[in-house]
Amino acid sequence: MIPSFEILIDQLINGLTIGGIYALIALGYTLVYGILFMINFAHGEIYMFGSFAGFFVLVQLTRSGFAQQHVYLSILAAFVGAILVSSTLGVLLERIAYRPLRKAPRLAALISAIGASIFLQNVMMLIVKARMQVYPDIFPEDWIEIGSVSISTFQIFIILGSVLMMAGLYFFIKRTKTGKAMRAVAEDKDTAALMGINVDRIIVTTFAVGSALAAVAGVMVGMYYTQINHMMGFIPGIKAFTAAVLGGIGNVVGAMVGGYALGLFEAYGVFILPAQYKDVIAFSLLVLILIFRPRGILGEVVSERA
Amino acid sequence: MELLKVEDIHTYYGSIHALQGISLRVMEGEIVTLIGSNGAGKTTTLNTISGILKPRKGAVYFQGERIDPLRPHQIVAKGVCQSPEGRKIFTRLTVQENLEMGAFIRTDSEGIRQDLDRVYQLFPRLRERRRQVAGTLSGGEQQMLAIGRALMSRPKLLLLDEPSMGLAPVLVETIFDIISDINRQGNPILLVEQNALMAFLIAHRGYVIQSGRIVLEDSVENLQENEMVRKLYLGEEIET
Repeated sequence: MIPSFEILIDQLINGLTIGGIYALIALGYTLVYGILFMINFAHGEIYMFGSFAGFFVLVQLTRSGFAQQHVYLSILAAFVGAILVSSTLGVLLERIAYRPLRKAPRLAALISAIGASIFLQNVMMLIVKARMQVYPDIFPEDWIEIGSVSISTFQIFIILGSVLMMAGLYFFIKRTKTGKAMRAVAEDKDTAALMGINVDRIIVTTFAVGSALAAVAGVMVGMYYTQINHMMGFIPGIKAFTAAVLGGIGNVVGAMVGGYALGLFEAYGVFILPAQYKDVIAFSLLVLILIFRPRGILGEVVSERA
Repeated sequence: MELLKVEDIHTYYGSIHALQGISLRVMEGEIVTLIGSNGAGKTTTLNTISGILKPRKGAVYFQGERIDPLRPHQIVAKGVCQSPEGRKIFTRLTVQENLEMGAFIRTDSEGIRQDLDRVYQLFPRLRERRRQVAGTLSGGEQQMLAIGRALMSRPKLLLLDEPSMGLAPVLVETIFDIISDINRQGNPILLVEQNALMAFLIAHRGYVIQSGRIVLEDSVENLQENEMVRKLYLGEEIET
């Protein structure tokens, strides 16, 4: 069966929407890997906490009646609250779970990350109980018809919002003094310290920035899919990790490319595999990249890092 | 006036006793050289002064203030800046970004711009390549960048680690001329070198380090006359 043009375009929009979200989360993995050469496996939980922080803000504002009157201000407040919570969490995680192990074998930090991930899931389970929470539905969703294709304003918001966040990040890394220092620290910590760069502070900043991007993704997902729970970070976390590996772990542009590539693979994968096998695509892709091109699409030669 | 005083430092790599009581001084306006063979502890000494390594015993004073407990970026803020060996430039940053990193602790953007100009005057090649990624520079250009970068912090004391390493002889001369110029503008320098012949041309005083200990300390004139130095450090140079 040859899919119609409308369905192809629909899936393109879906792919870009979910791809942007994968990319935002993937950036957190790649930023931290670029600097510490470790995979922060608790990153999915940072994303989950961001989603819940936005949820709590919106619930409070809806109860007080504020959200009904000031929709956009409330949405902004949800994003700001999520960014604050996730960034703080990312910074604490670095301080408590990773910094004491920085000179330990890499496996130790990895195990610590997995432990932190399980811990955070359970903390959220204790707070909200193990059931689905429904995001307050305040975003005015419209459908825009372009020819025979209809796009939700929500998808446009996610697509543009994630592009904007990534453009901001790219500018931050390329142009600002802190961004340049981040790249210097990623390349050589001792030499960066000899330049007068406070390496620990740069590492903290990296965690904060990566966590903030995950928080934005968390709120977007909450508003888009409307249901969240304490386990929601697991699958997107691994998928975003796949996206980061696909693009070349440690490479910022690679994480963006990898996120969109994975989103589009999944969206168009439904033409080949039944929709319930969607997750299979991501994980098969991960296995294939690791076998055939471990440095990813844009990654550098891994041996340089040895 | 005494600028840097290193007092009986002992530094370890794990259980290896790398520095076994190093003491040295750098006075205002001086070029002091620390010579020794590979593995004698030259770089370890500099890294202990810079705070990358911590001495287990002994102390480092800068302008009378104890700096060895400080962290590396705090020591840079005090005015001690090291240009590390092996041209440790940031290969994925551009030439100009590398120089900007040298000025990381400074906030006077006007002064930074002037110093950038000064470095580009010293090394016109770097100006031509300022937008290029530093990893694409030749070995000599990378060494120029490393020295230029160290100058950007306007250090009160410049620590140079093997600026001649891996360079063609003609380039070594250029680099040493520039080091000498920098010193004449009033910057004291602690110069670590394997190439004693070149180091003696521009330094005022020198220390000889062997297996983690200072075995000799004198003016350059006297060191050049010293039999052991001639045999071990200058002789090699003449033969090869």
